[in-house]
Amino acid sequence: MKPTWLLEVKNLVKEFGGVVATADISLELEAGSIVGLIGPNGAGKTTLFNCIAGYYKPTTGKVFFNGKDITDWPAHRVAKMGIARTFQTMKIMPNLTVEENVMIGAFSRTGNRQIARGEAQEILELVGLVREAKVYPTELPIATQKRIELARALATKPKLLMLDEIASGLNPLETKETIQALQRIKEERNLTLFLTEHVMEFIMTISERVIVMAAGRKIAEGTPEEVAREDKVIEAYLGKRYAKGK
Amino acid sequence: MVQVLKDIFSFGDRPLSERIGFVIFIAIVLAFPWFVELAYARAVMIRFLLFALFGLGWNLIGGYGGQVDLGQAKNVGFGAFTTALMTVWWKTPFWLTVPVGMVVATAESFVVAYPMFRLRGHYFAIATLCVALVWKELFTFWDWTGGARGVEIPLKAGADFAYMQFPSPIYYHYFIFFLFITQFLYMNWFRKSKLGYELQAVRDNEEAAASLGINVTVTKVKAYCITAALGAVGGSFMVAYYLYIDPHMVMHIDLSILIAMTVMVGGAGSIWGPIIGAAILIPLDMYLGAWLGGMGLYGIDFMIYAFIIMIIAAREPKGIWGIVERIRKRG
Repeated sequence: MKPTWLLEVKNLVKEFGGVVATADISLELEAGSIVGLIGPNGAGKTTLFNCIAGYYKPTTGKVFFNGKDITDWPAHRVAKMGIARTFQTMKIMPNLTVEENVMIGAFSRTGNRQIARGEAQEILELVGLVREAKVYPTELPIATQKRIELARALATKPKLLMLDEIASGLNPLETKETIQALQRIKEERNLTLFLTEHVMEFIMTISERVIVMAAGRKIAEGTPEEVAREDKVIEAYLGKRYAKGK
Repeated sequence: MVQVLKDIFSFGDRPLSERIGFVIFIAIVLAFPWFVELAYARAVMIRFLLFALFGLGWNLIGGYGGQVDLGQAKNVGFGAFTTALMTVWWKTPFWLTVPVGMVVATAESFVVAYPMFRLRGHYFAIATLCVALVWKELFTFWDWTGGARGVEIPLKAGADFAYMQFPSPIYYHYFIFFLFITQFLYMNWFRKSKLGYELQAVRDNEEAAASLGINVTVTKVKAYCITAALGAVGGSFMVAYYLYIDPHMVMHIDLSILIAMTVMVGGAGSIWGPIIGAAILIPLDMYLGAWLGGMGLYGIDFMIYAFIIMIIAAREPKGIWGIVERIRKRG
């Protein structure tokens, strides 16, 4: 019997006016796993995220979530289905307080403000933002704003959480804390994590499995150790000369 | 149910100073006709309350929704013409025409909303302006709406609570105050409702809102329709108050812009903004215009008006309420 994956992407192609951003990407995510997506700039990681989350319509190819075809679903429907995301470039709601930002996420499942607020407070505690609840997010540092986005995404109670460069711009200590926090949240909330990141020590530490993209294609997949040894991966990051010279 | 009632009447989330300020404001408005007997001053007060009411409705789409709608006059017109025509044709009592007017305005808005919300920012603003202009021309051109001659309401003798016709402006004062306070309490509930929060999320960031399961277009359409219904109520009042309407009076572009201006000057997206805006612009409009006009200086009041708006737009995009909040934050 074929196992059903939580997320399955099949031969996904996304072109922008003839420019191929992702070419024939196929991947599967097992429920409960932590999968990293790496690749040099312009590899198509964010495009792939946007195709899965319903922000872009794939040119060809399919996306399945829990066995259901969600390929052409709009973003809000995908979100209600159980896929939450954060954004590479911060998309915080500046005129709502931190707590209200998180409440918006909770409103995706309830119409009751009291329940939404209660859930928001619970999640703020989980990510360590209780003291900032009544503050406006623009007054807070970038690292904190990233945590607000994470909290907001968590408030939709997702099954799959896609984090687009959540650790970029963090110092080594913050990175370490983020890894621990994510692992704890993942266990507590029964999540599957799908992350892209440029910070290697972050992604190689947290991921159970890593998918490598370059120039819109998937070039490697495996455990962090396996992937790090692949010639193709080193080549994609450092160029042919270095890969051969090894 | 209890929670809904609490949300309507509770201002517990606002600072004490604001609550005290609001109580004082209500007290002044309620006592006003007993202390001021000047007919012109009473007329200014009624017009202030009317525009505060218009502002409250517009604040929903323009403030909480962040969509610059420059066509609210069409909804005022729908309300006004529904009330006027139903009164003249079928002698329908005022209070029955109000909900009909709200339904007409909502229905029209629902039809035009979907194509309009394919546009964003300035293009959306232009579209709202155009739709309102088309309706004004149609109402001027059509015979069955009275055309450019307008509609006159048959006079009743004495105070008539079915048709809301009264011999003294004191009645109209409390009449518009009642309508104003109803919409104010509705807005107090709305800003704390799920739709209220979702609308603000859409205003602040559409992509983020969608990632949290919010259907951006549906949210905007809902807000646009509610705004239309709220605007129609003021139109119905104008019929009872002026006993005469024509398209130039209730559907003119100047009205649309004045409604949007009061909110922007006062502070869009804040519960007090429309009241503050109307409290400044309406007396300014009516006194300055009359005073300068009396000296033969026609048009100067518009220049002063425009100057104030330019200053506020350039220095404080969140309006006068934005200034208040900034001072409070610093202090």
